[in-house]
Amino acid sequence: MNSDLKKLYPEIIKAHNDVPFHFEKRIGEGEVIKAYNPICGDRFELYITVDQHKISQLHFHGFGCAISKAATSILTKSLEGKTIEEALSVCNNFLGFINKEVHVDQLILPDDFLAFSGVHDFPERYDCATLAWKEMKKFLESMIAER
Amino acid sequence: MLEFCYEMALPIESIKSQFPIFSHRPELVYLDSAATSQKPQSVCKAISDFYERDNANIHRGLYELSAKATQQYEEVRRKVCSLIGAADPMSIAFTKGTTESINIVAQGFLKKNLQKGDTVLISAMEHHANLIPWQQICAQREASLQIIPVNDKGELSLEKFEDFLDHRTKMVAIAHISNVLGTINPIEDIISMAHKRNIPILIDAAQSVGHYPVDMKKLDADFLVFSGHKMFGPLGTGVLYCKGEFARQVDPYNYGGGSIRNVEFAHTEFLDYPYNLEAGTPNIAGIIGLGTAIDFIQQLDLIVTADYARDLCILFKERLRLLSNIKLVGDPKNFGSIVSFYVENIHAHDVAGFLANENIAVRAGHHCAQPLLDSMRIPATVRASFSIYNTSDDVDKAIAALGALNKFWYE
Repeated sequence: MNSDLKKLYPEIIKAHNDVPFHFEKRIGEGEVIKAYNPICGDRFELYITVDQHKISQLHFHGFGCAISKAATSILTKSLEGKTIEEALSVCNNFLGFINKEVHVDQLILPDDFLAFSGVHDFPERYDCATLAWKEMKKFLESMIAER
Repeated sequence: MLEFCYEMALPIESIKSQFPIFSHRPELVYLDSAATSQKPQSVCKAISDFYERDNANIHRGLYELSAKATQQYEEVRRKVCSLIGAADPMSIAFTKGTTESINIVAQGFLKKNLQKGDTVLISAMEHHANLIPWQQICAQREASLQIIPVNDKGELSLEKFEDFLDHRTKMVAIAHISNVLGTINPIEDIISMAHKRNIPILIDAAQSVGHYPVDMKKLDADFLVFSGHKMFGPLGTGVLYCKGEFARQVDPYNYGGGSIRNVEFAHTEFLDYPYNLEAGTPNIAGIIGLGTAIDFIQQLDLIVTADYARDLCILFKERLRLLSNIKLVGDPKNFGSIVSFYVENIHAHDVAGFLANENIAVRAGHHCAQPLLDSMRIPATVRASFSIYNTSDDVDKAIAALGALNKFWYE
């Protein structure tokens, strides 16, 4: 049975859980996106600075399970340096993959995103993988709407 | 084997066989009874029998079916009284659960008496259901919510309790048993301290009634609230017990048919408690199922069943302590059959997910008590809770799985 569970925790997820990307509080710089799951108590904050429609800095801090922490870490690594529109496409691509609406061949960042394919066999972990990505998508969409 | 010690007083195998879920899922190790208990066959049957043979609305029909439904429904008030040692069936209102019961007391009783500068006293270990309803009415009335702290052992700091009580205190609301730490609070002392100052007190008995002796002849609580689904009864059923003089002071917070004496376009006169609170068609089948759950409980000796579940919990705690990377949360002197712990460097959800893969059901998170865990600086715990259908075999399986977790995680 553990072999199935192993698919949920490939090396990329473990590595990002152990040493997350840009894992530090940056209160006072840019804006704060809250990614909280009140059901399970996962709580992340994403610190984002946008310069001329580009995400110039992205950090995060907080706590959650290995899946949610790794997903937030990969989000941070993937979106820094992207324009708002590019970042939104990446968000939609990741969320679409988790939702089984985007095929493996269409993945923008296949190496990182494929690490989460185990979630397809553990639907109760869907919220863990998508928590920060959904909040980031909402933030980016509201930025586009405000323009 | 712990079960042998109880063999004469508590035939565990025979009790477990009355819960159909374990026949359908023989591999299931269910350690989440504090969230909701499993249901005995008799309760499942009572519900299906009602829908198949006796279904009718209550209080309204003159035909035999309706009269029988009404009689069965009202009989459950007497059964609840018998379970909790209350004298008057009219002290029992049926609700959707503990949460609704507390909201009724907050909105229908306290809010109208609460003024600017008043206080409501709860503890740091309350479930969100016994926190938010008070917090919200305090905010609306410019009153303040005061919190009895919890010490490192997970016990209420009662030496400070009296300091919180003064002429501004309008309500005390405390859990009998903590849903996170398993602490059994000294509610007799708390009730008596509140009553010395004539302050009404509500006891959240969601984790105690049906599992631990609760006797209103000894406990002088003004309000007692609990859920049917945590005591082997159906989901969506609950109870509000209200002591005599307070029953007359609880106004409906939810309006509709069934709760009225006389309605005119300009004015409505309501029935007395408890009927004033039961507007609309209630969960009749559920309440009848709750009555059957009480029949089931009353076949047992609650002192023995509480000891058995607690002994399983003690066994589990002792064996958890032998695992090097596991930390128990709190160490209360007086506790029931609930324990919270965490595994160092592995988040509670990952632990619970691993156990789930081994067919072991536990809960992970903040257990609807986020401020308590915040104050203990713990983001999430794993909670295991034991009931009468658990065995020492369940403890063995859970401990073996936790032992295997390290290998899985770090290899």
